[in-house]
Amino acid sequence: MRFWEKMQGIDRRVIFTLIFASVIVPTLWPLHLPTAITPETQAFFNAIDSLPPGARVMLPFDVWPSTLAETEPMAVAALRHCFKKNLRVIGLSNVAMGGPSIADRILKRIGDEFGKTYGIDYVNLGYKANYQAVLLGMGSKIADIFPTDHHGTRLDSLPLMREVPNYDSVRFILIVSDNAMVDYWVSLVNARFGTPMGAGVTAVMAPKQLSYIQAGQLHGLLGGMKGAAEYESLIGYVDKANRGMDSQSLIHLLIIGFIVLGNVGHFVVRRTKGRGGQI
Amino acid sequence: MVLAFFVRGPIVDRVSDEALRGQTIVGGIALLLGVFSISQVHWRRIASGHADRGYSAILLVCLVAMAGFGTVQGVEAGGVFDWLFERLQAPMMATMFSMLAFFIASAAYRAFRARTITSAILLLTAVIVMLGRIPMGQYVYDGLPAWTNWIMTVPSVAVQRGIIIGAALGAASISLRVLLGIERSYLGRG
Repeated sequence: MRFWEKMQGIDRRVIFTLIFASVIVPTLWPLHLPTAITPETQAFFNAIDSLPPGARVMLPFDVWPSTLAETEPMAVAALRHCFKKNLRVIGLSNVAMGGPSIADRILKRIGDEFGKTYGIDYVNLGYKANYQAVLLGMGSKIADIFPTDHHGTRLDSLPLMREVPNYDSVRFILIVSDNAMVDYWVSLVNARFGTPMGAGVTAVMAPKQLSYIQAGQLHGLLGGMKGAAEYESLIGYVDKANRGMDSQSLIHLLIIGFIVLGNVGHFVVRRTKGRGGQI
Repeated sequence: MVLAFFVRGPIVDRVSDEALRGQTIVGGIALLLGVFSISQVHWRRIASGHADRGYSAILLVCLVAMAGFGTVQGVEAGGVFDWLFERLQAPMMATMFSMLAFFIASAAYRAFRARTITSAILLLTAVIVMLGRIPMGQYVYDGLPAWTNWIMTVPSVAVQRGIIIGAALGAASISLRVLLGIERSYLGRG
């Protein structure tokens, strides 16, 4: 019984070391485990895949830098899918801290990868304060809300934006978010203007968004790193999300192991104490 | 603006657009007010020799540096603002968030106990979902991803929907109370 008693008081640095190893080992030596595709990811893929070449999509990067490990792979995969299909992308952000810079970096990197031209194939509108007014205002006239893009260029001098006065010219909105912005996109934009949309969100947010899927307000959902990994597999660009899933797999197993071990130890110690035995 | 959700027409659209324009301007001013307020609070801390004045000084220096470089040099890739964001701010925020994994693991070991039937159900559900969300889960048992999907799309969504509807009704009723002047606590009155 001393073993279980010792296990109950295990130094947390041991737990931290095991977690650290579970992240590092599969990062260095990937396991290449296949990920099962969920219906929500398949629906997201189908929604983008069914758009005709040249169609205009909006990609809000409503993310903070803290969740980039989860959200960047899904934004990258969505952009690759869009550019592969020759869709034209309007990026923006409703998160002041980092959102526009993240959008700029990812749009440029994937745009260059596919030989796309800024202003014609994609733009970055940047950030504007007061997201509720921004979301509703773009339904009337985008140029009223964003007179210039992220770089200070007037919208009327960007060929792509001359064709997009408001949501009526946008075929689909792919929201990448780590906060409550999806709720606002659904309740303000989908409800009032009827623009179809799908979302890529962090794993902890995904259960809430499933209710929008069932209500038909979202046409697809990427839930956390698993959703991003599934999407990467669907578009044929296996990248960071699939590598991340190896680490996530080990960590999940480790946490389950901790839960089982903690419970067994707890009940063994309690039963022995209850009998008045020595532990 | 509420009417614009239900009726579309030139007059409604125009009034709604004007209200939105005003709201955007107020939003911008509120942001400036926030910067002014936070600067004032931390400046007072430094001036009064507060124990945490060092942190306040760091905050003000960072605020001035980021805003200064962003305004003068722009936020383009390759600039100082972008460098500070990519090399300092983003990694620091990611580090803070990543530390959750360590604390969750430690908490799972020490606190997640099946002491009652309900906590045992919660524990079992968590284990099924955690296993079903990883590629290894399907090797343990083929049906695990389907079980996970059922848990997430049926009982979990039912609860989430209840929360969403409850919160929406609460927000609507509090808005109505504010509009009708019944709720005045935001003015400092009961």
